[in-house]
Amino acid sequence: MSPETDRDRDVRPEGATAESGTTFSRRHFLESLGVVAGVVAAGTVPALMTAGTAAAATTATAGESNPLAHVIEEDADYNYPGKPVKYADPAGDQKWAMVIDTKACVGCRKCVYACVKENNIGRNEGFTYIQVLEMEDGSIDLETADANYAEGGRPDKWYLPVQCMHCAKPTCVYGCPVKATWKEPDGIVVIDYDKCIACRNCIVTCPYGARHFNWYEPEVPEAEINPKVPLKEKAGVVEKCTFCIQRVRNGQTTACTEACPVGARVFGDLNDPNSNVSVLLKTRRAWRLKETLGNEPMIWYVG
Amino acid sequence: MTMTKTTSPESKPGIKRFIGIDWNIGALKTASPRYWAFVSLLGVLFSMGVMAWGTQLNLGGAVMGMRDNYPWGLWFVNYMYYIGLSAGGLIVYASVHLFGAEQFRPLSRLAVLQAGVLVMMALLGILSDMERPWRAVFMLLTPNPTSPFVYTGSAAGIYMLICFVDLWILITGKGGEKLAMRMTLIALPFAIYLHTTTAFVLALNKSRELWNSAVMVPIFLTSATASGIALLLISAYILQRLKVMKFKKTMFRSLSTLLATVIIIDIFFLLVELLVMLWPTSSQPGHAIRIQQFLTGPYAWAFLPVLILGITAFTLLSRRNTRHKPAVQLTAAAMYVFAIFLKRYSLMAMGFGINSLGQPTGVFVPSLLEVVLALGILSLGMLIMTAGAKVLPLVVPEDEHHEPHVWVTDDEEPALEPEVTSL
Repeated sequence: MSPETDRDRDVRPEGATAESGTTFSRRHFLESLGVVAGVVAAGTVPALMTAGTAAAATTATAGESNPLAHVIEEDADYNYPGKPVKYADPAGDQKWAMVIDTKACVGCRKCVYACVKENNIGRNEGFTYIQVLEMEDGSIDLETADANYAEGGRPDKWYLPVQCMHCAKPTCVYGCPVKATWKEPDGIVVIDYDKCIACRNCIVTCPYGARHFNWYEPEVPEAEINPKVPLKEKAGVVEKCTFCIQRVRNGQTTACTEACPVGARVFGDLNDPNSNVSVLLKTRRAWRLKETLGNEPMIWYVG
Repeated sequence: MTMTKTTSPESKPGIKRFIGIDWNIGALKTASPRYWAFVSLLGVLFSMGVMAWGTQLNLGGAVMGMRDNYPWGLWFVNYMYYIGLSAGGLIVYASVHLFGAEQFRPLSRLAVLQAGVLVMMALLGILSDMERPWRAVFMLLTPNPTSPFVYTGSAAGIYMLICFVDLWILITGKGGEKLAMRMTLIALPFAIYLHTTTAFVLALNKSRELWNSAVMVPIFLTSATASGIALLLISAYILQRLKVMKFKKTMFRSLSTLLATVIIIDIFFLLVELLVMLWPTSSQPGHAIRIQQFLTGPYAWAFLPVLILGITAFTLLSRRNTRHKPAVQLTAAAMYVFAIFLKRYSLMAMGFGINSLGQPTGVFVPSLLEVVLALGILSLGMLIMTAGAKVLPLVVPEDEHHEPHVWVTDDEEPALEPEVTSL
């Protein structure tokens, strides 16, 4: 085991076990439900909840030979234990990650639109989970990038899609004063819309501008509402990309990956050494945005 | 000091004894029309603030000027500002009991009341910003130890209680000098803790380049102390002018000397931080492009006056031939209280002026409703101070340890004013 493993173990809350072979049946639903049930405001549908005591079976499939083992270990579940996720299946033993090919990305924003539709983002809110930055050639300087470029994309620029990175060390989770946001065992950072106190400290503390506040009551045309994703609960709280938790835990890929016309996005499981992301990370030269900050984002770029 | 006398509360009409404090309710009855006009102006502002808050609860954050690029707006500026202003009161009060700075003793009750009220205003700011204030209970149920918010929020709450308990101890004289001294030993470290944690709300964000600096903590401490002392100086002048209290000239001299000292330290910290950001061997592009907004860019109007007003105030307070003049002291103090507000605004904008994805976000302008809400909180604070100056026995009797308190004065009855023997 690497030293990181031991350190990560230390920060796990009591009851979180890290031994391999954790299965669904071992989740302590009732235990964590009982703790939280009393304080949840009645009448609202709990949005994102988790069985907090479950830990990912990271070591089971990540053998010693896997060069991604340290990355997987970094992505320990910083599990300020929350409630079971209600609108998605419980976490499996995957470690979700994404690789984005910036050479392929043409800046068409198809992923943005697919995401807005899939995730019931209020059309009146003026934000999207994904922000595509138009970058100058020969530079990855964010300050010269343009997030509001004209529709379409230009051949003399390159494009950098940015969204929630589902960091291994998420500053937003550390910054939340009430533990309304946490990392699920499969690496997805989730928010409990019924608990968020709207202090917006997570927005301030996120280096990727990934979190957004619902200043308005989110409005989605009746016909376009995705019943699998909360809508009303999002008024007056923070939301962000969930790696399409409602899809990926049911064997689908994320909406943005599906929508990309050039296949620039690859989504998959780091625990599976043969998954597309694992193979890409082992064979291509990948980099991460603002890596110096040490957030250990789970979205890599290749290009 | 001939005027001090031990009155039993019943002997004077209009004085009600409650929780050991003699509330001079009678003074309100004899208050001048001007007093009531001022109070009703504050009352109107306060009720407008309440209505604004109701609107915000009803319609959500959309009515505020804040958006994702400015997740914290005017309430955060005011939070930093009020927490800072409260410091001065405590420093002055502490120096009486801790360092024997007897010249500040007449100020001690006023100082502690002011500190408590200001922290209360800061807390109200947070509360008024929350979309669902009742969820604040989660701060107690599931606090997250890695979030600086937990520390500054709890610190502000406890500090407010300490201030009001302290005021009660000072007024009732319970426990005598010894207890007052012990309270200082609790309150002073706690005040430092409060300002430190407030600074940490900014400094502990690696996502915000200009905030992420340890010098933020000493800057918060000095800005807080300087602006707090300046505000106390202004309050003391006002109360003296209104003949509520009288102070010795030497007290104002000591206060303004202290003020000048802290101002120059404050400016020093700011300048070294600027130097680190701009010096060729240490300047980082992310920092440089952001600080440029405040030196030549769209925020120069807010940031440059901080330096100009600060240096001018320091100069005014240090010129040997004019620094004893009340007008000069008042001007300098007012300048710095205003400068610190601009500094708080700039600090807020330093985090948000260019967002974490490098996109410029435009100048933050609070919405009208946000301003009304802030004015409502401000007027509530001023209401409490105005009423407190009338009703509470804020005047410290010269021999407070032997004679139990009750120094109440009244506009209409000049005979009851304490005489100040030396000048």
